[in-house]
Amino acid sequence: MSVGILALGAANSRSLVHALRRAGADAVILERPEQLPAIGALVLPGVANVGYLIQELDRGNWRTPLLAAIGNGLPTLGICAGFQLLCTRSEEAPELPALGIFCGTVTKLRGEKIPHMGWSRAEATTSAFESGWAYFAHSYAPPAALRETLAITQCGAAFASAAGTGNVIGVQFHPERSGEYGARLLQRLVRMAREPIHAG
Amino acid sequence: MPAKRIIACLDVKNGRVVKGVRFEGLRDTGDPATCALQYCREGIDELVMLDVSATLEGRLASLQTVERISSEIDIPLTVGGGVRGEDDAIAILDAGADKVALNTAAVAEPAVLQRLASRYGSQCIVLSIDARRVNGGYQVATRSATQTTGQDALQWARIGAALGAGEILLTAIDRDGTLKGFDLALIADFSRALDVPLIASGGARNADSFADALAAGADAALAASVFHDGLLSVAAVKQRCRERAIGVRP
Repeated sequence: MSVGILALGAANSRSLVHALRRAGADAVILERPEQLPAIGALVLPGVANVGYLIQELDRGNWRTPLLAAIGNGLPTLGICAGFQLLCTRSEEAPELPALGIFCGTVTKLRGEKIPHMGWSRAEATTSAFESGWAYFAHSYAPPAALRETLAITQCGAAFASAAGTGNVIGVQFHPERSGEYGARLLQRLVRMAREPIHAG
Repeated sequence: MPAKRIIACLDVKNGRVVKGVRFEGLRDTGDPATCALQYCREGIDELVMLDVSATLEGRLASLQTVERISSEIDIPLTVGGGVRGEDDAIAILDAGADKVALNTAAVAEPAVLQRLASRYGSQCIVLSIDARRVNGGYQVATRSATQTTGQDALQWARIGAALGAGEILLTAIDRDGTLKGFDLALIADFSRALDVPLIASGGARNADSFADALAAGADAALAASVFHDGLLSVAAVKQRCRERAIGVRP
């Protein structure tokens, strides 16, 4: 089963490739929207400035085919800035509309020390998600009050550390670097992965 | 507030861990990937790989070693050593690092911090500062601590954070490898003055020395020798931190 990584020039895709391999999937770095029908699941990684990601998304003409694929049920996991990309917009780049799958604006954290860097608890707000220690590295986060929030984490105030709707999950932490807790989430994505649709 | 972190540093030269190769014990070699995986299993929170001879040899940290370590571990990896600018930083991240540490290159051209942060975000950019005690103050040293610049270390940390560094890795040169304990006054000064996370390095001695550094204000405490030489286990450090009411990851 292959999982596509839409790297958009963001960093640390390599960590993710290794982690997905450990979770039992072949990972491919996507280079063209035409590759979308051939993958069983999608990861939007994000060690990046979200404004940079949005600009790359539009520069590569990804927006429409990506939304269509997600709308068609493609299992999708957004990580960190990739989660923020799934929200309506971000204070980090307020003039650029994001994908709008989760309805809410990403805001700057107001903790004592920013970035929020290190291991914190993701506390599940629903039995459909698991609580655990996860690795975070970010300065912005989606609001705790998203309609689709699955878990929250405290940094100054609470923010959404995970959200999900249908076939889409977003997590503010890095499952590829969150030990066994993160590995279980990637395994869940790999289990959700579907048989590829043949293009054309 | 996240848990306080215990970080192991792999000082690498020619593809081998150079500080404290174990002559006996569980890890029989200084192979970086083997050490990294072992630390992971012992509950270390994060790993830093520094290619200690890269800058002096005028080359970038070994990407092959980065790739090998990255493929084995499921915790964050920061890599530094010989990063001269954006292209080097990107190469290190592409090889599997989660964060990149800059030292000499950032001193030479501070704007590189801003350029990297605007693309990757501050959380990916670590400013490594080697601080040497000079006349009662601390000055920035570069090129593997072989040159002292005359610049005040705390002032440089503030500038670096303002330009986009998301974390400061502060090494007290005078304590490095001495097992004399962390420089608590230095840590307290930096922690009070900075609003980005601070990793304290240099002087780790026993489990209490880590708790001391974290209690003094460090967000993470880093060590190489004490872990490599088997003087101290990660579990013992965390146990002592918990006894002293310092929140660490189980």
